[in-house]
Amino acid sequence: MLEMLNQTPFVHTVVTVGSFVIFGIGLVGVLSKKNLFKIFLSLSLMESALFLFFIGNHYEVGMLAPIAADGITAFDGHMVDPVPQAMILTTIVIGIAVLALALSYVVRYHRLSGHNRIDKMDELGDEQ
Amino acid sequence: MNLKKTIRLKTLLSTLMVSFLTITLLGILAQVSGEHATLGNRLLSLNHNLTQSANAVTSVVTYFRGLDTLGEVTILFLSIFGVGIGINRSEHLHTILHYDNALLKMGARVLFPVIILFGFYIIFHGHLSPGGGFQGGVVIASAFLLMFLAEGDAYALDHKILTLVEAFSGVGFVLLGLLGVLLGGLFLSNPLPLGTLGQLFSGGVLPIIYLFVGLKVAAEITVLIEYFIRTHDARDA
Repeated sequence: MLEMLNQTPFVHTVVTVGSFVIFGIGLVGVLSKKNLFKIFLSLSLMESALFLFFIGNHYEVGMLAPIAADGITAFDGHMVDPVPQAMILTTIVIGIAVLALALSYVVRYHRLSGHNRIDKMDELGDEQ
Repeated sequence: MNLKKTIRLKTLLSTLMVSFLTITLLGILAQVSGEHATLGNRLLSLNHNLTQSANAVTSVVTYFRGLDTLGEVTILFLSIFGVGIGINRSEHLHTILHYDNALLKMGARVLFPVIILFGFYIIFHGHLSPGGGFQGGVVIASAFLLMFLAEGDAYALDHKILTLVEAFSGVGFVLLGLLGVLLGGLFLSNPLPLGTLGQLFSGGVLPIIYLFVGLKVAAEITVLIEYFIRTHDARDA
């Protein structure tokens, strides 16, 4: 029974559906929230869903981490692909950088205008 | 409270739209058959001879895609630059998250060097075990976060040292790349002796690159934490 669940296609399905649900939660937050802070946090949540999707879909049942330790000395086909992990490492750092920059702009906007709501922004005048 | 007020129509509509999009995308993804990527297997087979690094992810990050990491560190630097561009130095700032607690102060003072040491351990073992420059750098920055929480305004960072560390690690990364041009013929190639797999001194330039990356990330995240924790309270305005 449990072996059936420990198959690569099943794991990939769970990861895909789960990450898309998280992505959907983030997208709902971006579309429906009015607070700039919450909008950027929702964007960050969408990013996390992307990381989960990318990493989880490159995991294969029975494969090892691409690290030669604990008696393993050869790099061969029994290891998972290291490239997605390295790319996601890059993406996480860039995500932090972009989130920090965005939140600093939110703080500065609040300091200038006294609010941080996207529906009250009227810096461009009354033009629609 | 009536229902119309608690669940707004727009929220409902956007939820429906997002669900529709999600299901459509899932349908598209279900059509894609999993094709095995061969790049990773090729890099894994090259890794043993080219880098002697026990952690293949590290060799991808710092060697096979080293230029990419240089760009990533540059993006982090530009982000911190953008954060710092609007700081008014004359403004009086104070730490908005601060717990005045003697136990926390003593504990933070004891833990501070230990956390820094642990961060450097993670950086130096980046080519042997899970970890590396980014992770270790963030651990080092968390030690400074602890000091901000415990000491509050009394804890002053020396910005000259932070800027120096950040600048020298960035320059060191580029100089290592140029050293690769001079000695190995390629930017960010690996001219140093490789050593044996699994030893601390192995992998050629890989641990040095990760040391520079770690110092740079630590300095930048520390500046970032200071910006967000030490500001004038926006809620007073």
